[in-house]
Amino acid sequence: MSYVHPEYLVDTEWVAAHANDPDVRVIESDEDSLLYAIGHIPGAAQVDWFSTLQHPLRRDFLTKEKFEEVASKLGITNDTTVVFYGDKSNWFACYALWLFQYYGHENVRIMNGGRLKWEQENRPLVKDVPTFAETKYKAKKADKSIRAFRDEVLKQSKKKKPLVDVRSPKEYSGELISMPNYPQEGATRGGHIPGAVSIPWAQAVNEADATFKTPEELRALYEGKGINADEEVIAYCRIGERSSLTWFVLKYLLGYPDVKNYDGSWTEWGNLVDAPIEKSV
Amino acid sequence: MPLPSKLQEIVDDFASMTREEKLETLIGYAETMPPLPERFKEQRANMEAVPECMTPVFLAAEKDTNGGITYYLDIPPQSPTVRGLASILTTGLNGSTLEEILSVPADFFLPMKLDEAVSQQRLNGFMGVLAHMKKVAVQVGAG
Repeated sequence: MSYVHPEYLVDTEWVAAHANDPDVRVIESDEDSLLYAIGHIPGAAQVDWFSTLQHPLRRDFLTKEKFEEVASKLGITNDTTVVFYGDKSNWFACYALWLFQYYGHENVRIMNGGRLKWEQENRPLVKDVPTFAETKYKAKKADKSIRAFRDEVLKQSKKKKPLVDVRSPKEYSGELISMPNYPQEGATRGGHIPGAVSIPWAQAVNEADATFKTPEELRALYEGKGINADEEVIAYCRIGERSSLTWFVLKYLLGYPDVKNYDGSWTEWGNLVDAPIEKSV
Repeated sequence: MPLPSKLQEIVDDFASMTREEKLETLIGYAETMPPLPERFKEQRANMEAVPECMTPVFLAAEKDTNGGITYYLDIPPQSPTVRGLASILTTGLNGSTLEEILSVPADFFLPMKLDEAVSQQRLNGFMGVLAHMKKVAVQVGAG
């Protein structure tokens, strides 16, 4: 058995071989954005979820126009193969990939294993920041088919359709509202969306080298919890980043046709007046 | 009570920096954080596991004969922002007394305008580390 869409993954060797390929842009997207400055893959550019990819005022992503500006500055054309990698098992790399897809960039990849594997293989890391000839990137209209908003999530919950909660087990049960020391990302209520099953995101990756688990393992993990390809699936976490990794796994590695990321996630749901909550403590 | 003078100096420095300078300085703090002394290694090994996405911050402290408290940190190099921020705190507070440490306001860093450089999530983590340092100071300060 292989992944349903293996073309969305490249390995470290492929990235090393395409370092100077003008049709490829390698982009680092980290949870800790200082890592890029400390050392990155030669020729790689950076996007930062906090300063590059978010709307400066509203709780939303950057606008289509702003996205076009960011992509143009990165020298990306609509045909460029964009490869993402990052720290924490590619968690924020998947988030950036999801956002590129949201604005219609089709040609995207994840470097399997991310920074961790690259470092483990003693491949070079440099501090030089590359510059690119600016392009005139044209984004597409935001693709809402991969992004869920709260009303849809409520419907999904009421219809008892698949919802995947990818947070840690204690956040799911309601014992913890957010991670200790992360009070701002909390919500006024703890628990999970009624009907959601708990499949922590990290179960999809191998801890040793941050690569994705095998197709068999992934299938067993999600199907074992009743998350199947034949229904629309919505994944969420606390702020929508960990769930973009789950989204990537379901959509491309397992080939589920209809998967959405609920980026409002628990920080919205747990603060939303009148929203139903289930607690399992 | 005024801030410990070294901490005040750091606050003033940051207040006058551009965003890029702040990031570079943070990296500097992250890269120059001293390694954890051997005598804390066992305590470090017994540290409780931290839930998945959090950066494990190991913090220990000792009181010298003058009542000054010295902190020791161990934070993985994969988390330079957390290393840099925590290192600012230990650099600014090492040698201070329990009373001085406890009187540092939770929002002392606002004039540093760190929000230009790091996310709100980090700043709350930063406040979390300060709160943790105060707790540890009480433990060694009372001993």
